[in-house]
Amino acid sequence: MRDDTVLIIDDEPQIRRVVRTALQQEVSRVLEAGTGTQGIDIAAAERPALVVLDLGLPDLAGVDVCREIRKWSSAPIVVLSARHSDQEKALLLDTGADDYITKPFSTLEFTARIRANLRRAQAAQLAMQAQPMMIGDLLVDLTARTLKRGESSIHLTPIEWELLRTFVTQAGRTLTHQQLFNAVWGRAFGDPQQYLRVHVANLRRKIERDAVRPQLIVTEPGVGYRFEMPR
Amino acid sequence: MRLPFSRWLPAWLFWTLILIAVTVGMILARGALDQAHVALIYLLVVLGASASGGRVVGVVLACAGFALIDYFFQRPFSTFAVGKSPDWIVLVAFLATATVATQLLSRANAEAEAARRRAEEIDRLSSLGAETLSVGRAEEALTAIAKVIRDTIGAAVCELHLRDQDRDLLVLAARVGEIAAPPGALMAWVFEHGRIAAERRDGSVYRAEDAPAGSMSPGPDVPPAVALLIPLVVHGRTVGVLRLAGREPIVLDAGERRFLAALAYYAALGAERVRLVSEAEHAEALREADHLKDALLASVSHDLRTPLTAIKALAHDIAGAGDERAAVIEQQADRLNRMVADLLELSRLNAGALPVRRELNAAEDLVGAAIQQLSGALSGREVRASIAWSEPVLVGDFDFVHSLRILVNLIENAHKYSPPDSPVDIEVGRDERMLRITVADRGPGIAPAERDLIFEPFYRSGGASAAPDGGTTTGAGLGLAIARRLAEAQGGTVTYEDRPGGGSRFTLVLPAAMLDGAEGEPAPEPARQPAGGMRADA
Repeated sequence: MRDDTVLIIDDEPQIRRVVRTALQQEVSRVLEAGTGTQGIDIAAAERPALVVLDLGLPDLAGVDVCREIRKWSSAPIVVLSARHSDQEKALLLDTGADDYITKPFSTLEFTARIRANLRRAQAAQLAMQAQPMMIGDLLVDLTARTLKRGESSIHLTPIEWELLRTFVTQAGRTLTHQQLFNAVWGRAFGDPQQYLRVHVANLRRKIERDAVRPQLIVTEPGVGYRFEMPR
Repeated sequence: MRLPFSRWLPAWLFWTLILIAVTVGMILARGALDQAHVALIYLLVVLGASASGGRVVGVVLACAGFALIDYFFQRPFSTFAVGKSPDWIVLVAFLATATVATQLLSRANAEAEAARRRAEEIDRLSSLGAETLSVGRAEEALTAIAKVIRDTIGAAVCELHLRDQDRDLLVLAARVGEIAAPPGALMAWVFEHGRIAAERRDGSVYRAEDAPAGSMSPGPDVPPAVALLIPLVVHGRTVGVLRLAGREPIVLDAGERRFLAALAYYAALGAERVRLVSEAEHAEALREADHLKDALLASVSHDLRTPLTAIKALAHDIAGAGDERAAVIEQQADRLNRMVADLLELSRLNAGALPVRRELNAAEDLVGAAIQQLSGALSGREVRASIAWSEPVLVGDFDFVHSLRILVNLIENAHKYSPPDSPVDIEVGRDERMLRITVADRGPGIAPAERDLIFEPFYRSGGASAAPDGGTTTGAGLGLAIARRLAEAQGGTVTYEDRPGGGSRFTLVLPAAMLDGAEGEPAPEPARQPAGGMRADA
């Protein structure tokens, strides 16, 4: 087992227990912190591979904890939230959180998301990913810009290529509409932002096996999209 | 101008004495005086008298002077006979000069007095205006207005009766003076008709029936009254009644009538302000209560979710160990969570506090997200989505999160009320300006009598007991009510119709959007959807 320590920052002992139980089979060590300040200290001392952060902390706002850890750590931060609005979630993701899970969550979904985030973080450390690569039954070459399913090649527009590249390189991470827009168009604002969802829909029609049951590009309602790398 | 007794009596006494003194003095010096000297001296007295005592004193003294000159200073002395005819000229000239001068003087005096009073009125009105606006409590401003009115008109009592919104009757809102009268039939008449009325000393009643309704100016025909009732009218609406009363009848001259009308208007504005302030306070209280309720619901829903998460996760673990009852616990935890969310949502919708973020969204993205969200809850139910893959993506201008909520509710509803082996069909289309997403099932349908009721909050259809799962997944009866309200909040709606061949068909209507193609993106090539999974009817 690799050294993948996970830190859980939550003031509720029951939630810490649930998270610890869920993760025991997945990772080598689970650390716990009951407050934001304590969480930041432990994160600095132990350098966990991933942080699970609850937003309802008594001492610090989630955004501040997120920002503080992001100053010196690139470990994925997965946020747990109960009543936070989509805008707040988007703000957190824009601030440096990698993913969020809404309470009450199912253990299966939770462990799957933690696993995906750990995998992405480790893959990112392996420098450039091999090209071309297999994504499910798709053969993707991001540098040569070729995409094939079996023998038939699929044509993507330049914007769809940019979208796919952004998704694949940040697989497992929930990307806000804003982040996607910045990555694809290179601008912070503008009218074409509106068309982002149309381009995603078109890209899905081309790469998903069933575009109304997407397995690769998952919608996070009101927040953005997440690319899930098939295993 | 009617002056009080105490004011004109000293002037009369003083100037009569002067006249006598001057006459005596001149009689003693008669030998040295010419007729013209005498006339001029008397003229001075008359002018002085009329300047300080008014026109009547002046004219009376002029006549007295005329007689005195004739009697004491014109030969033959001590008779009223006039000797030479030129002496008449002196007498007539004196009388004419004295009278004309008296007239002129008194007119100038009256004008000066009027100007002074007008200045005073303006002073009072402006201080009243300032008071109406500056006094913290509107009720105190009303008392201040009543005091100004009473002092100006010289009545013993001034009362302001305002309409009580809740009880719909007149209540005494402000009073200065001693005699308080309960609102009687006459006051009710004034309030109802918006016209002035008065009560004479003998108890008889005057009603300004000919005056236009809503007129607050007393006309010249208003009699001297022991009680004068004036309606308070703002923007054509009667808000209360002003009552003036005194032990002596109140007599108004033209200026006072005009002034009273202006003051009554101020009182009406003050009354309106009282009403607005109390309404604002009421609204504020309601808002506060709503805010509290929202905060309460938000914190309840948050506080509930944390233990629910723990329950769900622990139940999941136990279910994994083989106890099927734990799976039911997990399912019920989800149900509880949904109900709390529904209540929160409905309360926000009712308060109009639900923010709507309309954006360009793809219809198939919405359908996909709904199917994804329900993947766990539909327990093997076949959901068929029919989308025209060869056509460009259908887009609408709607709030994705709210619309997702609607579609999830509709699909859940279809799942709940139809046989487990029948598919739920979702179709996406558009007409002129609207997107239409239909969710159809093969359930029992909705009886005509219930078709409007199902969109009401907390309505539980009689067919609810027929839910195949025995009702374990039914919520609080809010799903369709929330769905329709959420749709209406973004310019759409949710409708029901019978499905041909049996079953229900709900349609979510949302504003469609037109892609202008400015992006220069080619339409996607006809998608090659593999046979598995999708049944594209298009």
